[in-house]
Amino acid sequence: MYLVANINVEICASKSCKLCTQYCPEANTIQYSETMGTDKGYKYGTAYIAVDRCKGCALCVWVCDTMAKNNAIKMTMIDQLPLAAVTDNIRYEEKTTVAVLSDPMIVIGN
Amino acid sequence: MSLDYVKFSGGFEKFMPKEYRDMVEHGPFGKKISVSQMGSFKEILEEHPMCAGCAMTLFIRLAIIAFPNPEDTITVGTAGCGRLAISQAAIPFVYGNYGDQNGVASGLSRGLRLRFGDKPKDVVVMAGDGGTADIGFQQVLHSWFRKERFTTIMLDNEVYGNTGGQESGMTNRGAVLKMAPLGKKFEKMDMLQMAKVAGCAYVATVVPNNPRRVESVIKKAVLIAREVGSTYIQAYTSCNIEYAIPTDKVMEDAKTVENDRYQFTEYVSDEAKQYLTERYGYKDYLPKAAAPAAAIPNKA
Ligand SMILES: Cc1ncc(C[n+]2csc(CCOP(=O)(O)OP(=O)(O)O)c2C)c(N)n1
Ligand code: SF4
Ligand code: SF4
Ligand code: SF4
Repeated sequence: MYLVANINVEICASKSCKLCTQYCPEANTIQYSETMGTDKGYKYGTAYIAVDRCKGCALCVWVCDTMAKNNAIKMTMIDQLPLAAVTDNIRYEEKTTVAVLSDPMIVIGN
Repeated sequence: MSLDYVKFSGGFEKFMPKEYRDMVEHGPFGKKISVSQMGSFKEILEEHPMCAGCAMTLFIRLAIIAFPNPEDTITVGTAGCGRLAISQAAIPFVYGNYGDQNGVASGLSRGLRLRFGDKPKDVVVMAGDGGTADIGFQQVLHSWFRKERFTTIMLDNEVYGNTGGQESGMTNRGAVLKMAPLGKKFEKMDMLQMAKVAGCAYVATVVPNNPRRVESVIKKAVLIAREVGSTYIQAYTSCNIEYAIPTDKVMEDAKTVENDRYQFTEYVSDEAKQYLTERYGYKDYLPKAAAPAAAIPNKA
């Protein structure tokens, strides 16, 4: 097993600073959704991780903790994630994305 | 090379992979996008084998987002880590022998001008410090002295990262590396000064811990190179492997190095200032006195 970044929607969607999205070295990995936070009743949208692209560097954790001071990202073993976004289940829309979350192990086992 | 190449061939759409469809439908081609929108559009850069947490990767990601017209851009690279990512982008990438990137780019940029006339086609070289300041040094300097109109970006990780840690001309004096166990005996080369002496119209240093600044310098450099002359960006893009930087401390290191030897500097020639102002509406270079002077008659 290995670590991937995991964003706490409750914290992120109450801050939504969009800082980590600009610092992940990998493209199309920290995604942003306008609705995935507000749908759950939070103030803003949320950042989330396309876990199949995350290389586990934890650079985003430093950005969220030290630059944004929001502490919303934790490195988590991929099989411990409750649900995760993978590239195949991410839909791009006008100025936002939406992901259908699923069990990440289904993808890893392929 | 135009928006024509960013579309589906008739009848093939449903056979294309998801990433390709996302790129055509939600990529940045033909649109104005900025780093603040990152995470909400499909990027031109795809998956690649560069190391986890590499700042060079982040810089390349930002640079590609900053290209003013990605659909009219060709990148040129050479041996070194950066090509592993630059080649995995939906932008044509030219790769030659180690160190010949500025020679290749000179020919390419001239050829594109013959073929397309005034329609801007941007050529952007991205190469390591070894490729730029050591092996490719002669071609880099000649392209600058000849005022070849393209952008040169040095991905300066202060080491030969791809081959396991040899010192380069851009390594700091005294730095101990795997393949320089006694420490480097000479000073870091001053390529910024050389770029100015050689007549570059735009010279800037940048560190990827400021994405908006990366975006701004890349845009200016590419636009100026369209007509005015050579442009040079020197970016600190640490190698966390050869300098043993923990990946979650890569941005902290960038900040330290920025304060130490990579403070933001920007040189813009007078001709380039005039060009950016007149052609692209930049306000930064208007004479300082002009604004209040213009305001007085309005008030009266
Ligand atoms: C003519 C030639 N000599 C040597 C090499 C081996 N080689 C590949 S990458 C590299 C060093 C790259 O260092 P740098 O340009 O600083 O880029 P980095 O990998 O650090 O990004 C060398 C020596 C080569 N590919 N071609
Ligand atoms: S830095 Fe933290 S709070 Fe800001 S968008 Fe990213 S996860 Fe959310
Ligand atoms: S751990 Fe690294 S690769 Fe994964 S999302 Fe965070 S910054 Fe990106
Ligand atoms: S060896 Fe260094 S420069 Fe090359 S990809 Fe790895 S961390 Fe980046």
